[in-house]
Amino acid sequence: MDDSLRLNLYRTMVLIRVFEEAILREYHADKRPAFDIGAGAVPGEMHLSAGQEPVAAGVCTHLTAEDAVTATHRPHHLAIAHGVSLEKMAAEIFGRETGLGRGRGGHMHLFDPDTHFSCSGIIAEGYPPALGQAFAFRRRGTDRIAVAVTGEGAANQGAFHESLNLAALWRLPVVFVVEDNDWGISVPRSASTCVTSNAIRAAGYDMPGERVEDNSVEAVYEAAGRAVARARAGEGPSLLEVHTLRMWGHFEGDAQAYRNDLEGVPGRDPIATYEHALRSAGVLDDGQVKTINEEAVARVEAAIDFAKNSPEPAPETATEYVFA
Amino acid sequence: MTTTETPATTAPAPTTSGRRLTTAKAMVEGIAQEMERDPSVFYLGEDVGAYGGIFSSTTGLLERFGPERVLDTPISESAFLGLAIGAAVEGMRPIAELMFVDFFGVCMDQLYNHMAKIHYESGGNVRVPMVVTTAVGGGYSDGAQHSQCLWGTFAHLPGMKIVVPSTPYDAKGLMTAAIRDDNPVVYMFHKGVMGLPWMAKNPRATAPVPEEAYEVPIGRAAVVREGHDATVVTVSLSVHHALDVAEELAGDGIDLEVVDLRSLKPLDRETVLTSVAKTGKLLVIDEDYLSYGLSGEIAATVAETDPGLLRSPVRRVAVPDVPIPYARPLEYAVLPTRDRIREAVHQLVRA
Amino acid sequence: MTEVLFPQLSDEDPDGEGVLATWFVDEGATVAGGDLIAEVMVEKVTGEVRAPASGAIHLTVSEDDVVRQRSVIATIF
Repeated sequence: MDDSLRLNLYRTMVLIRVFEEAILREYHADKRPAFDIGAGAVPGEMHLSAGQEPVAAGVCTHLTAEDAVTATHRPHHLAIAHGVSLEKMAAEIFGRETGLGRGRGGHMHLFDPDTHFSCSGIIAEGYPPALGQAFAFRRRGTDRIAVAVTGEGAANQGAFHESLNLAALWRLPVVFVVEDNDWGISVPRSASTCVTSNAIRAAGYDMPGERVEDNSVEAVYEAAGRAVARARAGEGPSLLEVHTLRMWGHFEGDAQAYRNDLEGVPGRDPIATYEHALRSAGVLDDGQVKTINEEAVARVEAAIDFAKNSPEPAPETATEYVFA
Repeated sequence: MTTTETPATTAPAPTTSGRRLTTAKAMVEGIAQEMERDPSVFYLGEDVGAYGGIFSSTTGLLERFGPERVLDTPISESAFLGLAIGAAVEGMRPIAELMFVDFFGVCMDQLYNHMAKIHYESGGNVRVPMVVTTAVGGGYSDGAQHSQCLWGTFAHLPGMKIVVPSTPYDAKGLMTAAIRDDNPVVYMFHKGVMGLPWMAKNPRATAPVPEEAYEVPIGRAAVVREGHDATVVTVSLSVHHALDVAEELAGDGIDLEVVDLRSLKPLDRETVLTSVAKTGKLLVIDEDYLSYGLSGEIAATVAETDPGLLRSPVRRVAVPDVPIPYARPLEYAVLPTRDRIREAVHQLVRA
Repeated sequence: MTEVLFPQLSDEDPDGEGVLATWFVDEGATVAGGDLIAEVMVEKVTGEVRAPASGAIHLTVSEDDVVRQRSVIATIF
């Protein structure tokens, strides 16, 4: 793996983390002293992806803007890695007229036709539409693919199983990604799933399945590369499960009292881990770390400023855009 | 209340050729002509290929267009309806069949939370130009899970257009319009209007249909019988029952105006109000459940516009809030039969 | 004069009976060869009947009549 690629992966992950930290800051800034979920400039539920950056960077680096990605209620890392405009995404999170959805979708319902990116608040239900995007791409004779991302909890939902079967049956160019972050809100995987790995289930749907165990961005990149190549070559779908890390709560405001692994979380930070690895390999030095971080901060703060300075949608337009 | 500027589209006179089709064949012709014209149109669902659709919605299409355009799916409604959504988002025009509307429970999330909301949630940036076809209705003893209409449930939820053709002419025209519409359109066809050889049929299930392609506008009701004594508002198979009763009662000097809504979303409230303003009496016939549905919506339309239009209370003949029974005497006690309609009309005109 | 026959839809029971389900034309109508004129059914198999010739059609059975396969259902003059 050449150095520029490794730096790219690192840079992408840093950008995601800086963005999520900025949203975390903005989200909580005006919900003090007591947490009121409906208050402030960014009201509602907020599901942040700190710790899951390796999945986004490792998978999306193989994609072009012409490939589709469907994501879940925790979508920011994938949107960023796939090239969705930071400004428009931030504006949508802030519910502004300049947002991806003119403020009508919010953070869980981001749609970007320029990058064929979409996400949904109904877990597992992002899998079926990805099949359709893949179907359309293949029907047009292209080698474009669809990447469908969901969580380990969702791998027990009907739509997950239906989608795997149909994609395999019709040999659709899909890469199914499962982010196993150990927790379906508060329920650990051992209490929800009859198998130890969804890669095992892949065999039941006649497709290759791989599980990356250590949240390593390079391992994700390699495995994703295999799955993407298969799909582009017309060989059909694959399933890639990544044992990743949800560093923060399921949603902001989640006290995580149910969680028994919190002490170990900082030590498992994948960005710190990768930074250390790259430094050891002589690929990254203090100056580069500083520069990469500063550039990320500059981009993210510019996007946040854009969002904050954008107008809110007018109430009298609330019923517009139901139909084309 | 404003008067309608343009009259509702009335049922057209037969074409010079007088070529007749059943509703099923007219629906198929509408699909076929659009598939011919637009290569991005394709049809998918259970048993829509070689079988031709269990209610003959796709007869002959596989032979004509091949398995790339007419696809049999596994029993995976969430997956294949969702697939249709994804394909539509990427610019294709899929028609996805939900075999029985009663099956919506297994896939409703894809329909009401995704198909119907993507355009709005994306601020109009993403379109979902797809059609969902589905068979509705009872009267042939198929029981509680295979006899429902449920258009009230679908029409209640924002973001989907709903069309319900009652005649061969409207079946083809609304299908053409639905396919060409850039929005999600749910096309609900009553099994009893299809003119199937193996199910009791009303003679109106076979009627003249123009050979050329044409659209019936979505969102426009049709006054299918003009009259002065009472307005009967209804949809689907009940249109035929209403017309049967109207013809019969004309001999008794009762002159009914029958409004075929044809679309439930958008709903042509103007045509309803214009008619009620003329007759002062309103009967709604609805083969869906009575409460919290279409019949209440029509009543509310009049009540919140001008209740003074009515010379007597609204009457509703609908399926009561019970699961549709299997035994024939029970099933026919709950359906909006001609007997129930006739009784309601008599009470209405006497009131 | 051309006879229009009820098609044979059943191979196992070629003399079996079916039903004239739907007439698409009226008595005395002018039909062109190839026009769809009827839909019939034997057991659960349905079939379309198309005019074998052009002319005026005289219907010899009614809708819902039980008809033996390959018997005459109409004549075209």
